[in-house]
Amino acid sequence: MRHFLVVLIAAAALSAQTLDRTKPPETQPLPAFKLPPVYETKLTNGLGIVLVEDPRFPLISVRLTFAAGSKFDPKDLPGLAESTAALLTEGTAKRTSRQLAEELASIGGALNGRSTGDTLVLAGGSLAEHSSKLVELVADVARNAAFPKDEVELRKQNRLQNLLQQQSEPAFLAEEKFAAVLYGSHPYSRIAPTAASLEKLDGSAVKAFRDARIVPNNGVLILLGKLPSRAATLKLIEANFGSWQRKEISDPPASAVPEAKRQVVLVNRPGSVQADIRAGQVAISRQSPEYLPLVVGTTILGGGASSRLFNNIREKKGYAYSVHSYVDARRESSALTAVTQVRNEVVEPAMKDLLGELETIGKERVSPEELTSVKNYMSGRFVMGLESQNGLIEQLNLVKSMALPNDYLETYTTRLRSVEPDQIERAAAKYISPGKAAIVVVGDAEKIGKSLEKFGKVEVVK
Amino acid sequence: MKTHFFTLLLLAPRFLNGAEVSVPVEKYTLSNGMRVILSQDKAVPVVSVYLMYGVGARSEEKGRTGFAHLFEHMMFQGSANAPKGVHFKTVESNGGNLNGSTHQDYTDYFEVLPSNKVAIGLWLESDRMRSLAITDENLTNQKEAVKQERRLSFDNQPYATAIVDHWPQLAFKNWQSSHSLIGSYEDLNAASVKDVSTFFKTYYAPNNAILVLSGDIDNVAVKKLIQAYFGDIPSQPQPKHPDLSEPPDAAPGSKVYKDALANVPGVVAGYPGPKRRSADYYALAMLDVLMTGGESSRFQLNLIKGKQSVVSYEANLGWPFGDASDYKDPNVYAMFLIHKPNFTGRQIADQAQEEFTKIQKEGVDMKELTRARTFLLASRLNSLQSSLTRAKLLAQYELFDGKPELINTELGFFTAVTPEQIQAVAKKYLTPEKRSVLEIVPAPKEAKK
Repeated sequence: MRHFLVVLIAAAALSAQTLDRTKPPETQPLPAFKLPPVYETKLTNGLGIVLVEDPRFPLISVRLTFAAGSKFDPKDLPGLAESTAALLTEGTAKRTSRQLAEELASIGGALNGRSTGDTLVLAGGSLAEHSSKLVELVADVARNAAFPKDEVELRKQNRLQNLLQQQSEPAFLAEEKFAAVLYGSHPYSRIAPTAASLEKLDGSAVKAFRDARIVPNNGVLILLGKLPSRAATLKLIEANFGSWQRKEISDPPASAVPEAKRQVVLVNRPGSVQADIRAGQVAISRQSPEYLPLVVGTTILGGGASSRLFNNIREKKGYAYSVHSYVDARRESSALTAVTQVRNEVVEPAMKDLLGELETIGKERVSPEELTSVKNYMSGRFVMGLESQNGLIEQLNLVKSMALPNDYLETYTTRLRSVEPDQIERAAAKYISPGKAAIVVVGDAEKIGKSLEKFGKVEVVK
Repeated sequence: MKTHFFTLLLLAPRFLNGAEVSVPVEKYTLSNGMRVILSQDKAVPVVSVYLMYGVGARSEEKGRTGFAHLFEHMMFQGSANAPKGVHFKTVESNGGNLNGSTHQDYTDYFEVLPSNKVAIGLWLESDRMRSLAITDENLTNQKEAVKQERRLSFDNQPYATAIVDHWPQLAFKNWQSSHSLIGSYEDLNAASVKDVSTFFKTYYAPNNAILVLSGDIDNVAVKKLIQAYFGDIPSQPQPKHPDLSEPPDAAPGSKVYKDALANVPGVVAGYPGPKRRSADYYALAMLDVLMTGGESSRFQLNLIKGKQSVVSYEANLGWPFGDASDYKDPNVYAMFLIHKPNFTGRQIADQAQEEFTKIQKEGVDMKELTRARTFLLASRLNSLQSSLTRAKLLAQYELFDGKPELINTELGFFTAVTPEQIQAVAKKYLTPEKRSVLEIVPAPKEAKK
């Protein structure tokens, strides 16, 4: 009954008759939101430790991340970091692959290895009440992976089938070729193994990669969630990782990132009913102070459904269902990329518009209205990403992986708000050079080859 | 009793299977019949404004395949006070995220916003429910966008055409369920402005809609806003729902589809499933967890590992269009297995069948079932972290069951399933003579045009 009354009174105060529907409603400012405090320390063996108490759900999340990404793959073994990551959880000196899987399932847990250009990440979680078991399993996998022969063999076979499957998808073909075209001889040029490298893969290569790079002084352990007390958590970590021996690592000399230049590569996919287009160029590293202005510019260009690319190429011209742009940033460089898929008949006008919009960002100052709007968009997205443990721990992992300042997340919104139009213009002018964007298209060469000739000499590859 | 602003406060004191999580649920109905569910959680200043309409692809009429989805696109083309482009722009410039999606039995729309912007979402959603801009120009434009989406997501992808256009024809006999959800080019072209207006009036009325607000809200304040924005949108006659019943003696289908875009073979297999929320439904869902849930599942250990025949798999009650939570009968328990080329799709479907046969003969031990229960609990907790997932589940439980509070109790029904019940559903549902099979075979290269 109480509720009945409340609603009646409420309805009288703001009724359908007094409401002005012609304008978006006025809203109050967003209440301040503080991230949970981040506690950091280091074990004596050099392993970085990050702890975040997040008691919203009875769960814990873990990341154990090493500077051991695909950029450390030997030249003739692309995909080695990826396979090492995948095989870490396929059996240890103490547990078979099956035992690991069953023990994880018993604690409501999961643990998977993955690799990026820069890092190898063990990612997982479990029900909060099983935190000690989870930490024990993470340590076992990181320290004692045995790489059993039959598991390595199975990995080779299944990854090959998976690769064949990826190669039937235009988006994968486009991404793979675009990385190769942009990065040339830099190791970021490889995003996947090849049939030949999988053939050559064996247990000793995986073990050598692990021994060289999966060492405590090359890694960071992040635990987040409903954790035991600080002291108990630290004791648990020490018990599982404390005796792990530090080992000197030697990093290969950094490779140079090639200069941007116009290249047009057409990956022939006979029968394609549309063209999958990538255009862009190499830009700055994730740590650069110009990174944020460049991302703001790229988001105005093609982030979301009110961006310039979306409005022009999808809404106005109807060339495409999807079109967007982003900066794929790594430790040493980044790829500023615009992506769309258009029907074969409109490849030429769509490409012209795509390149035109790309170059405009560095030539014309963005309007104050666009800038305010994009700042709201980006800060809103940022807060939204913190709803889940997974969202928050991925952000923390990014900060550690990219060696960003400790206060990066806390100051993100403030720094975003302070980006000025001339910073965007400067960054864009520097990294979006007219006529220099590389172009990769996956499609039917017979149908779209001619349309691409307008944009440079076309190299057709299988 | 028909009372204006009748508020039903559903306290949810029971916890999710012992885990200390409880999703608050307050449900009431506006005088125009629109159902509202409020679920407050102040952990993060984010709110999901979520609208579910009780219409999906299974409501379509012959000659209009793909219409529900085409209509969903029209919902983003502007309304009286938020003309074309304003919807996207308003949401994004206020820091939000939006989308819509069409399913077999419902269509949903959402805005996830910083919580101070909740009124923005209500303004936009009410404006298009009240006054959608249905014009020839918008329709023509969106027909092209949908065709472009079809090219991108289906015509140019391996497996996708087989799964969206051919699999439903094997799995169902009733046209309402067996026709293509994305639709044919011919039917998309044939859609008229009048079709769009009629569909809008019939199905997009407040009395066919459920509004959920989940996240950082003040229940009293948002109720005022909801009444002001939606309260005077007129209701319409309650739409009829199509007869979805399948003929009782329907024979399963089988087909080999040659896929010019696939490099690796795959097979879809499916069995007619039980009634939603029946005892068999929970048992079959638990059987699915045993078979396909996580790294210690039987498909993983026995097919990917043991027989080394399968490379990857997906399975669900309601696959490929949904999962156990948006499953509405009649539906199928279906799976998609990508496998090595030295096996045929038929052999792989038989290997999956052998796993079911083993359960029929040997049952399940308690240790394995306990693991599956824990797996399910953890999956559920993980998904409940998102305000959007909570909103969607609340709306599904309201639409299909009239009980949004099931969000807090439903897990208990799954985890209460016994080994005997699992063995019994394996025998009752998962037998080879009930199985439909779609083999997807990579077409020889020379066949490619």
